Amino acid sequence: MMQAYLENKNEGRNIGLLVTLLMLAFTVVGALVAAMVGFWWMPLGEYENILLNDFNAYEIIVIIASIIYAVCCARTTIGLFRREQSSLRWSQWMFFITLIISGAILLSVVIPVGLKFALLLGQNIDLRTQINEEVGGLVPTVLSLGEGLISVSVLVLVLIALLALFVFIIPPLESLRRMEGVRLIVAPPRRLIQAILLVFALGIICVLIAGIYAVPLHLDKTKIRVAEDHRILAGLIFFLPAFFGYRQVRQMREESDELRRAVALTPGKFIRAELAKSPSAGAIIGFIAIFMTFTMATDLFLEPSSIASYLSNVATKGVIAIGVTYLMISGEFDLSVGSVLGVAALSFMLFMTEGAPVLGVLDPIPAALLAIFVAMVLGAVNGVLLITTRIPSFIVTLGTLLAYRAITLVAIAGGRILRYRDYHAEFPVFAISNIVFVALAVIGMALVAFTAYRVLPVLLQGAGRAWSIRRENGDFGTSGAIVRFIVFLVVLLILLAIVVWLVAVFGYHIDGGLVEVGYFDIFNGRVSAIGSQGDFFHLEIPRDANVRLAILWWFIFVAIFHIILTSTSFGNSIFAAGGNEGAARAQGVNVDRVKVQNFVIVAGLTGIAAIYETARNPGVDPLKGQGWELEVIAMTVIGGALLTGGYGSVVGSLLGALIFGMLQTGLVLVGIESRLFSGTVGVIIIAAVVLNTFVRGAQRN
Amino acid sequence: MEYKQKNPDALVDMIDIHKYFGSVQVLRGIDFHVDRQEIVGLLGDNGAGKSTLIKVLTGFHTLTRGQIFFDGDAVDIASPHDARELGIETVHQDLALVPLMSIARNFWLGQEPTYKVGPFHFMDKKLMASESIHALADVGIHIRDPEETVGTMSGGERQSIAIGRAVYFGKKLLILDEPTSALSVGETQKVLDYTIAAKEKGMSVIFITHNIRHVYEVADRFTIIERGHKLGDFYKSEVTENEVADMIVTGQIPERLRLYEEAAVGE
Ligand SMILES: Nc1ncnc2c1ncn2[C@@H]1O[C@H](COP(=O)(O)OP(=O)(O)O)[C@@H](O)[C@H]1O
Ligand SMILES: [Mg+2]
Repeated sequence: MMQAYLENKNEGRNIGLLVTLLMLAFTVVGALVAAMVGFWWMPLGEYENILLNDFNAYEIIVIIASIIYAVCCARTTIGLFRREQSSLRWSQWMFFITLIISGAILLSVVIPVGLKFALLLGQNIDLRTQINEEVGGLVPTVLSLGEGLISVSVLVLVLIALLALFVFIIPPLESLRRMEGVRLIVAPPRRLIQAILLVFALGIICVLIAGIYAVPLHLDKTKIRVAEDHRILAGLIFFLPAFFGYRQVRQMREESDELRRAVALTPGKFIRAELAKSPSAGAIIGFIAIFMTFTMATDLFLEPSSIASYLSNVATKGVIAIGVTYLMISGEFDLSVGSVLGVAALSFMLFMTEGAPVLGVLDPIPAALLAIFVAMVLGAVNGVLLITTRIPSFIVTLGTLLAYRAITLVAIAGGRILRYRDYHAEFPVFAISNIVFVALAVIGMALVAFTAYRVLPVLLQGAGRAWSIRRENGDFGTSGAIVRFIVFLVVLLILLAIVVWLVAVFGYHIDGGLVEVGYFDIFNGRVSAIGSQGDFFHLEIPRDANVRLAILWWFIFVAIFHIILTSTSFGNSIFAAGGNEGAARAQGVNVDRVKVQNFVIVAGLTGIAAIYETARNPGVDPLKGQGWELEVIAMTVIGGALLTGGYGSVVGSLLGALIFGMLQTGLVLVGIESRLFSGTVGVIIIAAVVLNTFVRGAQRN
Repeated sequence: MEYKQKNPDALVDMIDIHKYFGSVQVLRGIDFHVDRQEIVGLLGDNGAGKSTLIKVLTGFHTLTRGQIFFDGDAVDIASPHDARELGIETVHQDLALVPLMSIARNFWLGQEPTYKVGPFHFMDKKLMASESIHALADVGIHIRDPEETVGTMSGGERQSIAIGRAVYFGKKLLILDEPTSALSVGETQKVLDYTIAAKEKGMSVIFITHNIRHVYEVADRFTIIERGHKLGDFYKSEVTENEVADMIVTGQIPERLRLYEEAAVGE
């Protein structure tokens, strides 16, 4: 139909004009939203802010996004009006994006309501007595019943409009098609039945929603967002036309030209294809789903302190998960990481308090290095045991899991806790000139500039080439290169801005004076604690926000190990060793060495994690790290690594760990009992693996 | 025990090769040699020990007893890496490619081209992609996308890629272990063509099969193995296709050919 419209044929006129009008309407809405937020008519996220006449981050993001949205819609409208071939792709994407936005708006009502409903069912409370106790009487209930009725009536109005659309507008279009000899897809009577059923179903849903509103939910523990019912209207008004429009423009004529067909993917297919390429598709989908759910369910989830908390909680495990991912890709398995963590933490603490065998009491940094070395030795023992005995790594590391645990159990007699405080009055500090900070920031600046210098020209060239292809073929060109260039540019600019800001802040303070820094703070302190004056960094991080430095180290490790895995020959041999050991050996890869190296890497990262843990809370108990191995393996598996080897990614392990952290924090915030945590994780693991398998299957075909 | 090279001019001379897996004696004193620019058909029934023999040669297995001479020198091939260094490329029957890796990564596995940034070496992925396309096209294999996962391809395609890789990297000796068992008639003919092309480039080829018809056309000489022993070496001029086929099945040398053998032993 749309194709016919674009070719200026008569039969597509109605649909084409309708789509164009819709696009115009979206343009107006986008511009309106930008204006409303921009002129403070519609404040966002301003619960605590009394001054409405300034912008917070949410508002700035919304303004920018809706301006971009409006401009794109306008461009599409013009294209459709002029009947440009390329406007079809534009409108596909715009309808798709509109679908997602309006879907999110709808979800922001449905998810809180659903959660409340679930909690209602789960709570064994006589609600009516509770209400009567709390507000003393029936009046408030009647009031909210009234509110519920209002929202119901609004919905009924919408539904009547919908009914009209289905019954009176679409059938004439259908008969138009029939007259022109095109196959009639759905006969009008069936339309009618469908419409009635739809109205009926929607009616039940909104009665349910209204019913829930009628029962004010005084569950003190829950911080579930108030479901703002006016959003249903806004969401539906947006969602249904977008759905209609997307269905209209989704069909594209099969192009005979190979190139064109390859590029002419609908947004849905495009995203599916892109996901299929990634080993961590399940984790990506799971991450988005869980993030959306919690964001929609509670306002607290996006608070900086919550984000900091779930990042901090999993940073140490995330570091270990990187190594476990390596190992799993190479086809092996390590159950002993928890015990290795215990031994490394114990060694670190012992070296600083009782002293190392020959070297005596050590400073924190040598002690940390030595402890990491001890961990690596344990890892090497794992690896050598594996390749000399050829026993499956599951068994070998099950043995060492128990054996290494014995070390901490024996060394810390009587199960007491070895505390730093018991030996030293103060935590160790060192003084450095604040010039060092400036120097570090300048080095960062140089690094960013160097990367830009190396990568930008290449990307620019690629983007230029893609652009000219696009010009020649109408719209059909590879836009990946262009997107990559833009994304890289934006990331670079952000990085540069951060670094310049750091240089400025440090430069302001530069006076050659000494700053006292705690060793433990450098390893894994609260960011706000670093520097003798807490405000040295001028970071606007709330003092109570649990932003720990380990998060930064974790991200840096993820980046480094991702690059090693994907872009070095060592990474290639890891994949080969797990994917087909014999083939790897036949091509001259030293599989045994790769495996031992991986065991050492896991253990080294575990050692580093042990330092973080000990620095966060300077004390070691004999059972430190017990049970971590399974959580870390769960993160890795959620991240898409195959237990059978040969497949996985470091970024996947990052996402897996984040999913873990979000669940841990989010469930508490929403008020669901933490007893449900492990059950939820269990479901998520299986769901993620099923998703991963499903996506990989899709890739096969 | 000191071993002397029996065929001083040969590219490969394997002498008195024994290979035991625990108590299983798979190779029991085999002498095997490959001359320069020669295509040798290594024949024998399933389970005769052909794959084991070449796995010993390529360092995949360490030999229990015996000596290998390569290019006139006594060599100790301890790992497949050593064999590749000597210029031996192999397409193993069962160990060709890693299914979950892309074509380009499989192609370069074990000798990835790198570039340096400071002290760090990175894989040159662009070169890997473009070179693998070109190299495979040179041997007549046209692939769509070097980033495609090998696991999604058909058995014939995979075999072609493995062979293309061996032909591309091979310097002196190309070993093909049952290359044609998974292939269609057309694909088999292609493999035979590569074999001849490799010989013309100056390489020697060991072509293993239990199907004489595939190799009779291209081979210069046949070595027949029977349950860990060598039955004999026969030049193509000496035997007919049917006689070779009979020997593989029966494990007996026909009367007419015994003279050649005794003469050869007598030397
Ligand atoms: N790793 C091994 N361990 C024990 N026996 C083996 C091993 N590899 C091969 N064999 C045995 O050696 C014999 C010869 O195998 P192989 O060389 O693969 O035969 P061919 O390639 O001629 O068909 C077979 O009986 C097989 O069972
Ligand atoms: Mg075989």
